[in-house]
Amino acid sequence: MITWANFASQLFNGLALGALLALIASGLTIIYGTLGVLNLAHGAMFMLGGYAGYTTYQATGSFVAAVVVATLALGVLGIVMERVVIRYFYARPHEDQLLVTFGLAIVFVELVRWHFSSDSKTVQAPAALQGITNMGFMFYPTYRLAVVGICAVALLALFLVLYRTRLGMIVRAGIEDSVMVDSLGINVDRVFMVVFGIGAMAAGFAGIINAPIVSLAPEVGEQILVQTFVVVVIGGVGSFPGAVLGGLIAGEIISLTSMVNPGYAYVMLFAAMTLVLTLRPRGLLGARGRE
Amino acid sequence: MNADKIYTARRPLLVETLTALALIAAPFTLPLFDAAPNTVNRILVWGLFGIGFDILFGYTGLLSFGQSALYGTGGFVAAYLLTRVGFPHVITALLIGMIAAAAVGYLVGLVALRRTGIYFAMITIAIAEVFFFVEFNPLSEWTGGENGLPGVPTPTLDLGFAHLRFTTGWALYPFLAFCYFAGIVVALRIVRSPVGAVLRAIRENPLRAAAVGHNVHGYKLTAFVIAAAYAGFAGGLLGVMQAFMPPDAFMFETSGQLVMQTAIGGRGTLFGPLVGAGVWLFLQDFLQSTLDLGATWKLVLGLVFVILVCFLRQGIIGGLRDLYGLVHRNRRGAESAESFRKTVSATPMPAHELPNGFPGPVLQAIGLTKHYGGVAANEAIDFTVSSGERRGIIGPNGAGKTTFFRMLTCEVPPTAGKIVFRGRDITGMSITDVCQLGLTKSYQVNQLFNRLTVRENLTIAALAALRGKFRLDLLRSLRRIEGLDQRVGQTLELVNLGARRDTPVAELAYGEKRRLEIGLALASSPSLLLLDEPLAGMSPRERVETVELLKSIGQGRTMIVIDHDIDSLFELTERVTVLQEGRVLVEGSPDEIKRNPAVQEAYLGGVNGEMSGIH
Amino acid sequence: MRHQPSFILRRRFIGAGLGFAGSLALPASVSRALAADENGHPPIGTWPAGVQGKEVFIGVAVPRTGTYAEQGEDELKGWQLAVEHINSGHSLIKEISPKTKKGVQGKELKLVVADSAAKPNDAVQAEQRFITENHVILMTGSTSSAVAVAMNKLAQREKVLYVTGISGSNDTTGKDCVRYGFRQNFYGETAANAIGPVLLKAYGKNKKMAFMTPDYTYGHTVTKSSSEYLKEHGGWQMVTNQVSPLGATDYSSYLTNIANSGAEVLLNVNWGRDAVLSTQQAKQFGVIPKMKLVIPYQIPFLAKNIGAELSEGVYAATDFWWTLEDKYPLAKQFVDAFRKKYGYYPEWGANNAYMSFAMWADAVENAGSFYPPDVIKSYEAGRKLQSTVGEVYFRKEDHQLVRPVVIVRGKAPKQMKNKEDFWEVTEVVPGAPLMQKPDAFGCKLGEYT
Repeated sequence: MITWANFASQLFNGLALGALLALIASGLTIIYGTLGVLNLAHGAMFMLGGYAGYTTYQATGSFVAAVVVATLALGVLGIVMERVVIRYFYARPHEDQLLVTFGLAIVFVELVRWHFSSDSKTVQAPAALQGITNMGFMFYPTYRLAVVGICAVALLALFLVLYRTRLGMIVRAGIEDSVMVDSLGINVDRVFMVVFGIGAMAAGFAGIINAPIVSLAPEVGEQILVQTFVVVVIGGVGSFPGAVLGGLIAGEIISLTSMVNPGYAYVMLFAAMTLVLTLRPRGLLGARGRE
Repeated sequence: MNADKIYTARRPLLVETLTALALIAAPFTLPLFDAAPNTVNRILVWGLFGIGFDILFGYTGLLSFGQSALYGTGGFVAAYLLTRVGFPHVITALLIGMIAAAAVGYLVGLVALRRTGIYFAMITIAIAEVFFFVEFNPLSEWTGGENGLPGVPTPTLDLGFAHLRFTTGWALYPFLAFCYFAGIVVALRIVRSPVGAVLRAIRENPLRAAAVGHNVHGYKLTAFVIAAAYAGFAGGLLGVMQAFMPPDAFMFETSGQLVMQTAIGGRGTLFGPLVGAGVWLFLQDFLQSTLDLGATWKLVLGLVFVILVCFLRQGIIGGLRDLYGLVHRNRRGAESAESFRKTVSATPMPAHELPNGFPGPVLQAIGLTKHYGGVAANEAIDFTVSSGERRGIIGPNGAGKTTFFRMLTCEVPPTAGKIVFRGRDITGMSITDVCQLGLTKSYQVNQLFNRLTVRENLTIAALAALRGKFRLDLLRSLRRIEGLDQRVGQTLELVNLGARRDTPVAELAYGEKRRLEIGLALASSPSLLLLDEPLAGMSPRERVETVELLKSIGQGRTMIVIDHDIDSLFELTERVTVLQEGRVLVEGSPDEIKRNPAVQEAYLGGVNGEMSGIH
Repeated sequence: MRHQPSFILRRRFIGAGLGFAGSLALPASVSRALAADENGHPPIGTWPAGVQGKEVFIGVAVPRTGTYAEQGEDELKGWQLAVEHINSGHSLIKEISPKTKKGVQGKELKLVVADSAAKPNDAVQAEQRFITENHVILMTGSTSSAVAVAMNKLAQREKVLYVTGISGSNDTTGKDCVRYGFRQNFYGETAANAIGPVLLKAYGKNKKMAFMTPDYTYGHTVTKSSSEYLKEHGGWQMVTNQVSPLGATDYSSYLTNIANSGAEVLLNVNWGRDAVLSTQQAKQFGVIPKMKLVIPYQIPFLAKNIGAELSEGVYAATDFWWTLEDKYPLAKQFVDAFRKKYGYYPEWGANNAYMSFAMWADAVENAGSFYPPDVIKSYEAGRKLQSTVGEVYFRKEDHQLVRPVVIVRGKAPKQMKNKEDFWEVTEVVPGAPLMQKPDAFGCKLGEYT
């Protein structure tokens, strides 16, 4: 129903959704922008981050430990994946890259299913952040509120790395022209490895902080993957600001459509994606077309 | 059936016959391996679904994750007709479902094929999700929502003298086997037709396929519609086989399963999806029931898939074929060059028209300009070439020579100016149309169809010349194309690659590849041939040979050549244009140019014109 | 399949060839005559092939993964216990099926199980395999009504009996009913009619209600039945119906809409894990306890998962709750046996599973054979049966068991006498007045053969 109160509530809800999507999407977009590989296992990494955190939480009882371990573990996984598999696919056609990351995604999901079973697992939010906040125009779970802040901080951290460090500069240059970067004598191999690791970390981090909200199941990665594509396409491939903007837009599309009819929320996302792809293929903030 | 070979094996109907025999033998042999009839039936349906997908992915190189949308569409249209509407004929309903899916596929293709590669894959994923959603919600009246459409009847066939009723299990098998067989026969014909050849060219090098005169978008759309038709028919069969049309048909997992099965079995083989489905379903049954591993079967499958993608690119069938090839490598011996010579006539290949055919200048560029951002690559170039002329273009690096060529072939649109070719304004046309009109280019960096042989490469170009830019001759055999062998043979002669005609491009020496590169442009018998640095990277001896080659090619046609090898160029051409910083510096005969001080200045001390071309 | 006796292998071989031939020119009667024949009945479905040996197989397609996995595993335990009891001639079985001695018609029961993941396609695929390979004489399994409906159709086509697992949609014995399908548990219409008066009494008239509905047949029919009853009899107004897909994890959009709708009562029709998540998130968004929560169709393990603080005071309609052991002696026997074997109090899914097998055993023993049409007629005879909720019988017009609906209310944490004492039974409503007229939902049973 369309009322002012509901509008404000959904607008805010969309912000929360969007912040998370922005974080995951930035990981995907810098991987694609730099390496030219569309990581179909990105959603699975999100899921793995959640489970890594869950296991840590079960062992230590500390949410903070869970977040730290999950993020680092996924960073390591990303690096390993790049070294052992992805590296050999740079020279192969795009389709092969898609196939291998697709296959890895399935392997990750099934490994988790095998080890943890298909039941959903709950991760408790840290005690300090449990409960409900009265925001005036609506009640909002305190933890979700915190997630908005956490995502903002994480995005800020990513921003600082990309725009204020030498590594970040190389990454951004590599997104524009990796051949050039290579001929400048920079070790592109190492850059690729680090970028993949960072992208995976972003996904894993998002996975564990999202776990208390929606609980974990092996399938959560698939759903998030498709939404992440939409964000990346809308925002512009290879563009970090694009991922942030795209994420926020996607989040708002989902929640504002839900005001009218929640069932159509995801269709609207895809409609938006198709629109962008048809009218402005490089996305809102995307760089030159990298097909 | 082998996607890397356009020309079929010597025994044309071997594959079809073997397939028929295998299908007939199956019900008697497979039960000995504990194969349940329903599993076999399922494998057939997946196999049929996959034939179309293999044509799209294995042959054309378009990886679509959205086939489930069309599978579901065909299936639900057929099921709806059979259950809700009470349509009496199962087979007709299946065909209607197939046509509906093909139509939907056409519309979807119009949207999806605007992009390539990864974007294309992403769009297809989105389409699969949207279709699933739409089927589930807004259209649930027609599709039964998550219940699906139960009660789909099985087909009966009244042949007059016998009444065949196909029910379930082995009783349904003959029907499905026949459908699969029909599907394979049609697919084999498509793949062996000119269209099949063009699809393979598109997979290898879409840019060049367009440049030699094929309407790439049209062919891609054709492949997409073919895949949709197969998917739609298979979807209908699913409903019939289960007596129930499930909404899962629309799920993204279905598309994913299809992709994996095709990759496991072997893409570009047509039978790959069948083998892959067999592996998948067998493992599913075996691991779940016999080994009681529960849900772990999918993990095993995932690992198998990843390993195959990494190491066995062509899947199981590809692996078997490589094994076979290893064993039989020695038998492949020398090409029968003699038999080849018989098909070639002695006269050189004619140009599009006799050289004196066109009265005015063949090509006229007027004020041609190209700006890239703030940089002027070409600035107000006026350039005219007469019929039969051999013109050269030289200039230091950055002069804008390649950009100029790219505008002439309409690969890039000019910022300003006009191009007139044989009296016709071709500014803003597509590279394909321009090629069809008789203007082609050979590239500075080889743009070949790498996995095809020399003869197959030239066939692609020749097909465009003989058939125009788009022709739906799906069921015609390549052998039946008139003049094809002759044209290919003549081109081979002209570029002196006759002895290497059945060699794959990857095995050619660099000089041979360059000759093939020229041959590709030649095969369309252009009236104006542009050559972008044909001598690039050649040894002195190769240069001499190539110059002779180009001279003989140049008979009866107009040529424009860019090169850094000034000596060879002066030898080859009658008139030379010098470009510098995007503008025409001077134009004249080779002698005039040699003596011109401005030119010497431009080259900074290259009086002898000896430049080791920096590329 | 590896241990099949040679005559079955031979039969399969012949069957393949026969099937082949049967689809070609042979007229149907000739092919039938070629196969074995008993009591003058021609073979039908998996009969008599499935009952030749010392064992008979029952095919179970149950969700062991996915949104309904927890409930599926619980159901499976019910079936397994029933099979154990029937094979050994346990006293509880004899109370429900007096003619049972050991096994059914002297044959030992064996289960073959597959994971349906609550997907109709997977269930149908699995059961088809069971039919061809094991010649199952009975099929069961569903936690989703979509599966039940698909299985109904399969049963009718293959001529193999099917008893539903859990299925709450009106359609299962409504417009999608079949001659070969039977349902034991309660469903949308009876749930609504049973809980309606209770809600009106507890909360009064003219209330505003909000619904959360899972987007499939079960969800829509339960929402429809419930909202119609409350509107008609109490003037309640439905201010919003938030429809979510099965398996949704994030209910924030829906709950935001509900929070702003002005509703006073929230009826959550979501099931399985969806119910757990949506209820937990409803609390997080402050929707409950501001609004009163009602569960029109109760979910096994819901209270355990959301915790007694959330289930306190919540009204729900259910099929069975273990505290009925105080009221019905058979319930006590069942609860004791289940607890002894599995270590926890049974939920209604397990009870439903156990009862449906027990009643099938009774139908077969009364028919005197496994011949499907005879068994069906035995069900339709309208015999009164003793069950864990008193006396019940099958209605022959739609194959729905006429049985009571149990209304429960969540206990406060301090009232709980043990860790599983979540619900208090407030009423056991007799079934017959709750049900619609037999043809009201468009049920047309099919043929016997």
